[in-house]
Amino acid sequence: MSAEAVTAERSVTPARTWYAISSFVLSLIGLGAAGYLTYEHYTGSTTLACKDTGTVNCLKVTTSTYSTQLGIPVAVLGLLFYVVMAALCSPPAWSLARRWGAVTWVRLAWSLVGVLMVFFLVWAELFRIDAICLWCTAVHVVTVALFGVLVFAAALADEE
Amino acid sequence: MGTDSRARASAREKAAEMRAAERRRERRQRILIALGLVVAVVVVIGGLVGVKLASGGKATSTAKPASPASDQIIKDVTSVPTSTFNAVGAGTASNFPSPINPPGPQAAGKPRTLYVGAEYCPYCAAERWALAVALSRFGSFGTLGVTHSSTVDVFPNTATLTFHNASFASDVMAFTAYETATNQVNQAGTGYVPLDTLTAADQQLEAKYNAPPFVPASAQGTIPFIYFDGHYVQSGASYSPQVLAGKTQEQIAASLADPNNAISKAVVGSANVLTAAICTTTQQKPVDVCTSPGVVAGAAKLGTS
Repeated sequence: MSAEAVTAERSVTPARTWYAISSFVLSLIGLGAAGYLTYEHYTGSTTLACKDTGTVNCLKVTTSTYSTQLGIPVAVLGLLFYVVMAALCSPPAWSLARRWGAVTWVRLAWSLVGVLMVFFLVWAELFRIDAICLWCTAVHVVTVALFGVLVFAAALADEE
Repeated sequence: MGTDSRARASAREKAAEMRAAERRRERRQRILIALGLVVAVVVVIGGLVGVKLASGGKATSTAKPASPASDQIIKDVTSVPTSTFNAVGAGTASNFPSPINPPGPQAAGKPRTLYVGAEYCPYCAAERWALAVALSRFGSFGTLGVTHSSTVDVFPNTATLTFHNASFASDVMAFTAYETATNQVNQAGTGYVPLDTLTAADQQLEAKYNAPPFVPASAQGTIPFIYFDGHYVQSGASYSPQVLAGKTQEQIAASLADPNNAISKAVVGSANVLTAAICTTTQQKPVDVCTSPGVVAGAAKLGTS
């Protein structure tokens, strides 16, 4: 290995490790939040009553007409998204990506799907449901952060 | 080392430098593209939030205000065939009145059923249909309004009746109703325009009996709230407003006579249960109503939720 290559390897390895660790941690955080929302979807309050004067709340979001898409609860779609994302961002997947570059682009494309869904859900919360759910917002923030990490990881993938 | 060797080495170094410079240029380009994508995502989300804030960030219910019900709606609601009541039984009602033991305060004259709700509330929207059908078996409505639940809450814009300014006359019972708010969001965007105010006595009654142990802790202080003259209490709707989604008042009212219709099963089924609860306050009067198969089926559900 040439001195230049050694220098390059030293300079990119910490970055690659950082992308791998941060993306996996973000995926697990997203998985946890999406898992909680799915649990709440199936076990949450079914009280047929108005609790307040329509003030912003999570129940209003998770029980709105936008909480189901194509007959599937959005919470379940979020959980499915993060199960796949956690697998794509797991240490073995990062190792595989070094040998098979397509993994990097599949991972990025999948995170882009998540970002597009975030656009739709933020729009629905702000302009249709008129309520913000903090758990949903946490998932949105993690999804955008994950996209940021993965887009940089893909941009610098050739250096690995 | 000869001149040629030095020249070749120099050329190799220059080529290496050029390759390195090209790699750095490509790297910068890729970083800029990545940065651009992330910024674009943040700008889109920030833009959505900005537009919302610029529009005042307030909820803006576009539900129509209340208006008088048509004669046809009143006729359909107040003249459901006895055969339909009996065929439906408890129907698809899923939330039932709970008994008060020992009995709570009772009205001085005729036994009184007290209702507290609000026009914006979709669960009240569902419950009013059932309560109006049930009450029609004990007396008659002089006036009755129609309205919709809030367009910015769950089950938006559910078509319903309103008890605000409604008049009800009966030989065997009295009915007091409060719609505490309209379906119109107030100027501050923090709630709905207030409507009826409870008397101090009814406020006390509601505060005491719309709380544990009379209703589940999760339902404390919620609406709709119905107090059956000290015998039973109900917090929350008898069925989900989902069954009324997308229907007009005319369509809902016209569905009530058909015992096989999903709306009828929910509304008339709930009405039979509510009728059974009211019958406990009127000493089972009128007898033909309180002993009918539909109401007997409804009575079997009392206190079971």
